[in-house]
Amino acid sequence: MKKTLAALVTLAVLFVALPLAAGEIKGKVTCKGLRNNEDALVYVAAIAGKTFPPPPGHVKIDQLNLTFIPHVTAVLVGTTVAFHNSDAVLHNVFSPDSCAGKFNLGTWPKGEERSFTFKQECVATILCKVHPEMEGFVVAVPTPYYAVTKADGAYTIPNVPDGAYTLKVWHPKAKATQKPVTVAGTATADFEISK
Amino acid sequence: MLIRTRSAAALAVLVIGGLGVLGGAGTAGAVPVFSRKYQTSCQTCHTIFPKLNPFGEAFRLNGYHLPGETEEQVKQKPVSLGADAYARMWPEMVYPSTLPGNVPFAMNVKMADLYQSSHDDTGHTIVQNDFQFPQEVNLFSAGTLGDHFSFFGELTYAENSDGSGSVEIEHARLDVISAFGPEHLFNFRIGKLAPNLYDGFQEMWLMTNNGVDSLFTYNPVGWNGGTGTAEEGAGIALPARTRAIEMYGVAAHRLFYTVGVSAPIGPGGANGAYNNSASKDFYARVDYKFGGMALDGDSTGVKLPPENWRETSFRIGAFGYWGDGSGVNFEITDPDGNPFKMQQGKFSRTGVFGSLYVGDLNLFGAVVHGIDDLSLRDAETETEISTFRTTWDAWFAQADWVIVPTFQLSARYENLRPGDPSVPIQQTLNANFSYLARANVKLMLEYRRDLHDSLNYQIAAVLRAAF
Repeated sequence: MKKTLAALVTLAVLFVALPLAAGEIKGKVTCKGLRNNEDALVYVAAIAGKTFPPPPGHVKIDQLNLTFIPHVTAVLVGTTVAFHNSDAVLHNVFSPDSCAGKFNLGTWPKGEERSFTFKQECVATILCKVHPEMEGFVVAVPTPYYAVTKADGAYTIPNVPDGAYTLKVWHPKAKATQKPVTVAGTATADFEISK
Repeated sequence: MLIRTRSAAALAVLVIGGLGVLGGAGTAGAVPVFSRKYQTSCQTCHTIFPKLNPFGEAFRLNGYHLPGETEEQVKQKPVSLGADAYARMWPEMVYPSTLPGNVPFAMNVKMADLYQSSHDDTGHTIVQNDFQFPQEVNLFSAGTLGDHFSFFGELTYAENSDGSGSVEIEHARLDVISAFGPEHLFNFRIGKLAPNLYDGFQEMWLMTNNGVDSLFTYNPVGWNGGTGTAEEGAGIALPARTRAIEMYGVAAHRLFYTVGVSAPIGPGGANGAYNNSASKDFYARVDYKFGGMALDGDSTGVKLPPENWRETSFRIGAFGYWGDGSGVNFEITDPDGNPFKMQQGKFSRTGVFGSLYVGDLNLFGAVVHGIDDLSLRDAETETEISTFRTTWDAWFAQADWVIVPTFQLSARYENLRPGDPSVPIQQTLNANFSYLARANVKLMLEYRRDLHDSLNYQIAAVLRAAF
């Protein structure tokens, strides 16, 4: 009887506690003056006293049809990004940004890839010297709580623990902004950004 | 006596002091390239094409960028020639630029039925009725190359009343927009262009078919000075188009200036000897606009009506053009018919321009005072025989009235006092009724006459389309 009661209490606690531990932040980013609302990165800023281990695998960015796909990639600091060439032409990847060590990965053919680890917070522009119009962005952020908007501007950041945070927005063509957000289950935060 | 022959048509070319009416063909200024780029109507920028409304004027002065342009306003996505990040890597990487999303070409076509009456030098009245189909075809190319460069070109085929035709590059220029310093203040243009010196009254911005010939086709060269207008082989009054390097800008939203160095085109058309002259001409203009939309498109603190051709404003400016035509000989004769040569030495043109908008009415005009130092030379040895100075004055006033956007009226009075004191003042009336059948198709009825000679007139029915 005691065992059954304990099991029931545990279940009840878990039932109440689990949704709190796995909250989410959702909302919409409106990019004023731009063609659509895609490519806005929304992320939780550094949380005092907390660090997060980078994911074990590589995050992949493809070079396909002379474009970086995706155009904006968010990664946790410490993540290794693999740049894959899917085109039948040579591609190169380099970054002019100091926070990414101004890396230049050389040139490689179709089917091959080269990688780089982003060891600090960084907004890294990624470019291809072979095709000057190609441009993409890797943004290394301090928490694993982030999302990049699609054309409608909607975003959802899942699995955010309850708490008070600073929510930041970055966009390649608009001014960055931020606002405080308190997560208790589901929180909503909308942004309007412009050039 | 009426003469209705082809030879009479040729004689009409020689009419002295006439209306300068042949063809009426001039440059055009409606460029549908931008309608495509922004997916917007011609009437966004034109009251009736090619006449610009205040917004269109700001767009033009802004190097074909909308005032405060945003990415979403540009419907034809441009082709990137370099990632934006390359800008901060210059000079290690080439500074980024763009190409227009589509091939930046557009056309204007003018069909004209030109009925005109004039005199030949024997006093005969000549009547012509020409189907000039087409009178003129213009191929435009215009657009922007990134944020700071833009271009404009115009290739024109014009057909004359005798059936002959001519092809000319009327404009071919490259602009550098907001090259440095505050936005709008320092812009440069280089190429064959219509100088901003005539902003607002050069033919390419008029709603009428005829230009202001008293200002632009007056021939200052003659035995005792200029006697009237002339289409070819004439000296320079105000060069409608030049090969120039020009700087212009807008300060404090409403103060406009331009300065330029130019080699005027002429005499004798596009490849005239003036282009070989060792000296270069200079021009300058400064304007201020009170009220209405600012010249850079700013409308802060101004209440503007939704009818974008309307505003209450007054723009006034002063301009000058200084040149030297030495080294270029013109063929002239004395009163007895003996041949001589004459050079147009140093000359100056100074003037004032004003434009008043009140509701649906735009009243504008310009006054020009010309001074020419003429050099008479022997016909064979070209030795200078004598020099003398002549002065001339020309002015015009024009009223454009938007009855409704579909129907518009224009009336212009021109007054020319030629340099030759024996030639009386010439006065011309030009009246126009325009029907804007579509935003890019219009029909004009235009009447022009010499106010001193009721048999010296022209009636034109012109169908014009831009696409």
